[in-house]
Amino acid sequence: MKNNNTHRGGMLSRRAALLLPLAAALPGRARAQAPEVIDALNRKVPLKAPAQRVVLGFNFEEFTAVAGAQNWSRVVGFARRQWAVNRQAVFARYQAAVPALANVADVGAAEDKSFSVEKVLALRPDLLVIDKWGFTTLAPMMTQLEETGVPVLVVDYQAQMPAQHRASTLALGGAMGTMDRARELVDLYADRVADIRHRAQAAGISPKIYFEIGMGGADVIGNTYNNAIWGALLELVGGTNIAKGKIAGGWGPMAPEFVLAAQPDFVFITGSSWANAPNAVRTGYGTELETTRRTLAPYAKRPGWNSLPAIRNGELHTIEAGLARCLMDYVAMQYIARQLFPDRAKDLDPVAELRRYHERYLPVAFDGTWMARLA
Amino acid sequence: MNATALSATTAWRAANARRAGVCLLGLAALAASFAADIATGPAMLPIGDVLRVLAGQNADPMMGAIVWKLRLPIALMAIVVGAALSVSGAIMQTILHNPLASSYTLGISGGAGFGAALMILVGGALPIAQEWAIPLGAFTFAALACAIVVGVGRTRGATPELLVLAGIACLFLFQALLALLQFLASPEALAQIVFWLFGSLLRADATKVAIVATILALVLPVLLTGAWRLTALQLGDDRARALGVRVDRLRLRGLIAVSLLTGAAVAFVGTIGFIGLVAPHIARMLVGEDQRHMLPAAAIFGALLLSLASVASKLIMPGTVFPIGIVTALIGVPFFAWLVLTAHRVRR
Repeated sequence: MKNNNTHRGGMLSRRAALLLPLAAALPGRARAQAPEVIDALNRKVPLKAPAQRVVLGFNFEEFTAVAGAQNWSRVVGFARRQWAVNRQAVFARYQAAVPALANVADVGAAEDKSFSVEKVLALRPDLLVIDKWGFTTLAPMMTQLEETGVPVLVVDYQAQMPAQHRASTLALGGAMGTMDRARELVDLYADRVADIRHRAQAAGISPKIYFEIGMGGADVIGNTYNNAIWGALLELVGGTNIAKGKIAGGWGPMAPEFVLAAQPDFVFITGSSWANAPNAVRTGYGTELETTRRTLAPYAKRPGWNSLPAIRNGELHTIEAGLARCLMDYVAMQYIARQLFPDRAKDLDPVAELRRYHERYLPVAFDGTWMARLA
Repeated sequence: MNATALSATTAWRAANARRAGVCLLGLAALAASFAADIATGPAMLPIGDVLRVLAGQNADPMMGAIVWKLRLPIALMAIVVGAALSVSGAIMQTILHNPLASSYTLGISGGAGFGAALMILVGGALPIAQEWAIPLGAFTFAALACAIVVGVGRTRGATPELLVLAGIACLFLFQALLALLQFLASPEALAQIVFWLFGSLLRADATKVAIVATILALVLPVLLTGAWRLTALQLGDDRARALGVRVDRLRLRGLIAVSLLTGAAVAFVGTIGFIGLVAPHIARMLVGEDQRHMLPAAAIFGALLLSLASVASKLIMPGTVFPIGIVTALIGVPFFAWLVLTAHRVRR
């Protein structure tokens, strides 16, 4: 089945690569048909034709996977900071692999309040793609854009719910005229998640898990996740999240003594290539395993952590933070499943899966350490 | 005697002419700043194109949308909000005999911030669009903060000290309640609250400008007709009473005017500090204490200060709109320092 997918994917992307410039060159027929696009908020996106001038607010890698790297030529603006600062190494890879990225203007980001409606309008876009968080945070500006006739497509991978992944992916495919790729990705995702849930139910155990963002290093108590992001992902894999219902809001720091008292069986500290985070756990493209382990090691020496079953049994892990709330997050689920119930999941190979996903859908090569045990 | 009276009249006329001159200069500077506000923006459109849009000679819908729907409302909002905040600060400083008073001191901005945050969290349950629920909540709680202060004033006598204390208590109360809401909020709602509290003119549109302008146009004339009472109040409560001013009532009325002006301004642009504190001082230094001149001057210079800040916010980092609250302080403080240091020359 996996091989079958590989085959289909290879055929499709080659065919798409041939057809897409053609479609752009023949505007009459391609543009005559208004695509029926429903976004992740279940709103109809008023597109007259597949978008030709797109502004991207977030989910740049999902866009690349669904639309294909060559369609970055149809992107005129993006929220640079959300990618270039938060996922430094990823952005550097894409810059090298996607030449069109050099011509894409920065429109500012929701995160540092620099998003500018004026800059978006000046680019004469026919579509703005933004995540739900950006859409709600910038609500007055979204109204301004829709009133001036810029269709806004909301994606919601952040919810970490298979249905929202599906709706977001199909909406992107519809808006960009790359429905074949979108359907293939949606099928792949549904297949992998169903497989993990099946295995989890068969295993019938639910050990205690503690997740924490490793951005500030071991000396900083980073956020853990209640019912959002990694918390929601754990719901699918089947572990018991010790933070569930114990912190206000979707994420936030948890008192160290609570973690000690909860005695988690597994601890996952997320890593990434965050800018300006010298003590962070390093993972992702180009990261050696030794670097990842060296930056993860201080967590095992936190006060009292030698009493935790997770530390005593060598179950301190790191996972790349970018492997949640995205189209390839089933890979993180597979990695967690392998740790939680190895008997039921030993044939899963998340790293190979991640490499395959890169080869099939992304313009950048896979390398580096994305998931690892401390020793 | 005659000669003395004559020279006094001449001096008075000369002083009036000078005050009118200062106000006219302020208006001219405001017009220039308004034009610069429309000419500049993060998209850095050529000024010639902007002029053609304004003259109706450019039919490009993109340019039209930027100039008419984004830049014009922002430029007008800077003027009406600057004027409203400055006049409310001026009234507050006068009725409280306190040069540090502004809508922050009495917790009115704090109330507005709490009201907005509350609407972001629970406004979905109300039968109005969130776009309007948030300003309505801000306005209502600004008024509530004011009502608490007024209520204290009515029971224990509206002495300035008591009102300031009640206001500061209000400030801490609403700050604590706001922090509580932020603690309980979901990450999405929290981001929205932080975004709202962060003062910004970028949310302006024609309707919102019209609402603030209408409130300003209703409140300012009412204040001006009673301006002599406010001037008399500056001589002290006892002397004002001797002149027939009902001091407590004047204070309470002033507070209502303040809550209307601050509530309207803060409801649409969030909290923009400093204007309400400094612009009235600038006006006072330039035209003196007589409220007939001081209030219009406060409106003009408040508008000018925020309009200049709006222009500067777009020029500091071309292509980016710098946070306006930071700019008001960065422009206002040196200007204010210069005025304070040269005040003796200006006032003569």
